[in-house]
Amino acid sequence: MASPAFADVPRSFFQEKILLGMTPREYLRSLVTPGNALVAVILCVGLPLMVYRFAAGLGATTNLSQTAPWGIWIGFDMMTGIVLAAGGFTLATTVHLFGLHDFHPIVRPALLTAFLGYVMAIVGLIADLGRPWNMVYVFVRHGTPSALFEIAWCVVLYSSVLFLEFLLPTFEWLGLKRFRSVLLKIMLPLTILSVVFSSMHQSALGSLFIMAPGKLHPLWYTPWIFIFFFISAVMAGISMVIVEASLSHKAFMSRIHHHFDLAKLQYGLARGGAIVFFAYFFLKLQGVIDMHAWGYLWSGWGAWFAVEMLGFVLLPAILYAVGARNMNVKLVRLGGALGVIGIALNRLNVSVIAFNWNLPSAQRYVPSWMEVAVSLTLVVLGVTLFRFCVNRMPIMSEHPDYAGSEY
Amino acid sequence: MLTHDFLSMYPAKQAEYALAISYMLAFIGWWRFVNGGKRAEAELRLEHAEPAKATAAAAAAEQPWFSIPANVWLHPGHTWARAAEDGTVAVGLDDFAHKLVGPVEKVALPKPGAPVGQGVPAVVLASSGKSVPMLSPVDGVVSEVNEELVSDPTLLSNPYVQGWLFKVRPARLRANERQLLGGERARVFLDEAAAALAAKVSPELGHVLQDGGSPVSGIAQELEPEKWDALARSFFLTEEA
Amino acid sequence: MKLSRRGFLHIAGASAGAGLLARPGAAFASEAVPGADERAMLVDTTRCKGCRACEAACSEANGNPPPDRGEDVLDTNRKTSQTAFTVVNRGPNGPGGARRYAKTQCMHCVAPGCASACPVKALQKQPEGPVTYDPSKCMGCRYCMVACPFGVPKYEYEALAPRVRKCTFCFDRQKAGKAPACSSVCPTGALTFGRREDLLEEAKKRVYGQPDRYERHVYGELEAGGTNWLYLADVSFAKLGLPQNVEKQSYPDLVKGALGAPPFVMTLWPPLLMGLYTFAHRREKVAKDGEHGAHGAHGKKEERHG
Repeated sequence: MASPAFADVPRSFFQEKILLGMTPREYLRSLVTPGNALVAVILCVGLPLMVYRFAAGLGATTNLSQTAPWGIWIGFDMMTGIVLAAGGFTLATTVHLFGLHDFHPIVRPALLTAFLGYVMAIVGLIADLGRPWNMVYVFVRHGTPSALFEIAWCVVLYSSVLFLEFLLPTFEWLGLKRFRSVLLKIMLPLTILSVVFSSMHQSALGSLFIMAPGKLHPLWYTPWIFIFFFISAVMAGISMVIVEASLSHKAFMSRIHHHFDLAKLQYGLARGGAIVFFAYFFLKLQGVIDMHAWGYLWSGWGAWFAVEMLGFVLLPAILYAVGARNMNVKLVRLGGALGVIGIALNRLNVSVIAFNWNLPSAQRYVPSWMEVAVSLTLVVLGVTLFRFCVNRMPIMSEHPDYAGSEY
Repeated sequence: MLTHDFLSMYPAKQAEYALAISYMLAFIGWWRFVNGGKRAEAELRLEHAEPAKATAAAAAAEQPWFSIPANVWLHPGHTWARAAEDGTVAVGLDDFAHKLVGPVEKVALPKPGAPVGQGVPAVVLASSGKSVPMLSPVDGVVSEVNEELVSDPTLLSNPYVQGWLFKVRPARLRANERQLLGGERARVFLDEAAAALAAKVSPELGHVLQDGGSPVSGIAQELEPEKWDALARSFFLTEEA
Repeated sequence: MKLSRRGFLHIAGASAGAGLLARPGAAFASEAVPGADERAMLVDTTRCKGCRACEAACSEANGNPPPDRGEDVLDTNRKTSQTAFTVVNRGPNGPGGARRYAKTQCMHCVAPGCASACPVKALQKQPEGPVTYDPSKCMGCRYCMVACPFGVPKYEYEALAPRVRKCTFCFDRQKAGKAPACSSVCPTGALTFGRREDLLEEAKKRVYGQPDRYERHVYGELEAGGTNWLYLADVSFAKLGLPQNVEKQSYPDLVKGALGAPPFVMTLWPPLLMGLYTFAHRREKVAKDGEHGAHGAHGKKEERHG
């Protein structure tokens, strides 16, 4: 919002929209904060590393091997990135399909998180591909029996849906009223498509591993893994929205123009989360029995499985339930954090930790520092873009010209 | 390996069914547990409300300081909303707000056709060179404005009937209602606001107000002559950033 | 109870989804159906002397560096690599005392997991039998490496335009009517090239004809649903380094059920979600109508009573 003291000074569109009404010098000075210094350090290491990866190849930058073709760029950047972006379709369904309009104030931040999450996941994927220029062939030569074919198409289509949904606050920000009203007409079909595409590729990311029964540990391997991935995507969506809303609410308080009771919304999310986490816990146990893998529960890997299940599925369920019952928002937020970590842990377990579990430790994959640095860089980049958008666009609050709009 | 010997299927399937049945039984209990407990009503924490210290108010409060009629929903920013039969919602400021600010020189109202948002500033009260914005209690589009009030701001002394500010065609009334207080909760809210004020007020002044005796130029101006607008804003949730 | 609806619907949806699908990855061995004229190779390890002429011929035919001819090469267990499409490893002694050797390379499965995994059809199963690779279409996702239960595809991580590297079954030579390079130089007849049907028959003839000599199993008959490289041995296949944890059904079959889900989702979700939307918004609409309707009805009543 423009500061009244400068209301008379004419400012260019660029200055108004991008520089938050400040002169270039003022703006640059405003960027000097400890947080931004940390961001700068990380980006100064990570961005050149990404260039180096393309200049020197995968062998020079990663610890991938002939037995470990996938590392954390797939397991974390792509798989965890995509699952934690599930808050977009989960919340859009809640508000626009289930009609629970109370959650309206937190839909746009969740959709922005999802959009940026997918953008960063795609960047991570491109960094990992050996011949990314051949990506177009997925759309021309249809390797339809492949789960990756389905994933590639759905990620591209869903990212387009997210982009269109992102255009709504963009048009409002830029004052493009006509474009906005045209876009509004397709918001309901877009919401439906977002659920369809998300269901498909979130589950297909699990289907990838069905062809590797000898490589993925029996406690995680099951032909039903695609159902587990879908359910855990919903769980990740709920948890990530709780976490992101808490952080954004605090960090961008000045951008929130109408008061709303965030804790109350988080109790609502927590109640839903408690039910889904509970069901998933039992679902995973069913999977273990179905695979006749109960014997493995008493091994070291069984202990690790128990950590994932008890500490990061059952415990968040309890925290959600107790927190919502007693209106203790701290418990709910802790549950959210554990839920997010838990789903990330599950994706890492399936892709790199419990994958190749039976290889001798000398052959096991450990990420290189460069892989970790690039992954961290992508996360930081995503957060930075989030901040950029929130500080300028009607994300945390409605644009006053369009107050009361459904979307 | 995905194939297992035939015989081990029997106990495995048994275990699966047993687990599923146990889960279904546990689910009943879990569902009730999750949906029980306190339900978050639309309560707002007033940062300066100290109900425990409302000694002056408590002693004098056989007659409540601030009134509210039955069919009116209160917004925590001290505006009210009342649904009319024709589907519009009338909006005004409550008894507390009007007594806090006192006689007003000018009321700035939104234009018909303008959108308003719940919790978004919609009107401005101006007096003695200071202005105090107030929040709209509902989302929607302004359909009608109280022209008489604009020419005669003293109508605000009848805050619920003649002092209505504007009427709105609501966009999301049922969702908005969850953030509004009605009936007993509104009563409690006003009592707490009164208590918060009482914590700042001396007993003698409290008596004067209660009697409805000599007209006071607004409680806020009595308490903070220089910064009464900041005091009012703190109650109306329109503090300057 | 708005949130109960939420949680319930999520679970109901998932259960419905799960129930609709046949159990993915059936618990029985299924043999994939080979093409009528599919070519295969029979490796009779009882005849192999470990001369490694096949390695040399293979490298020459594929433009790879020639294999190390040192005496001690066979002392370590080697795997194929970006520059060695086949290796011969030393195994245990046979019943007669002579050393046994096993040649490893791509198994050219009847229903290959790698080809079904490839989203750009860079890896393709040819009707003649070989599983071929076209680097110009490959995008380097390396899913083929995840999918192959034999660990065959190798990747050129050091290159800037890396390729997947594996045995080609000399597809070009086969199209020209010749046998693969390895079998054409094999001095002992350990490698026999021919139609899969014929070779399977020959293999079984040998096994049943000399039951005391051979292990009663043709490796590759059922492994991964059937491969085009078939092995006979008179020592345990495990000791020869042939993987034992391979499923007895084709790997593409494993994922068929799960991949049946996306079309179901595309079909079922729109009506389900639109139904939800209508239901959720009808309640609001009815509530609003109710507020008017009640007044309207009262109004009418008053009119009637005058």
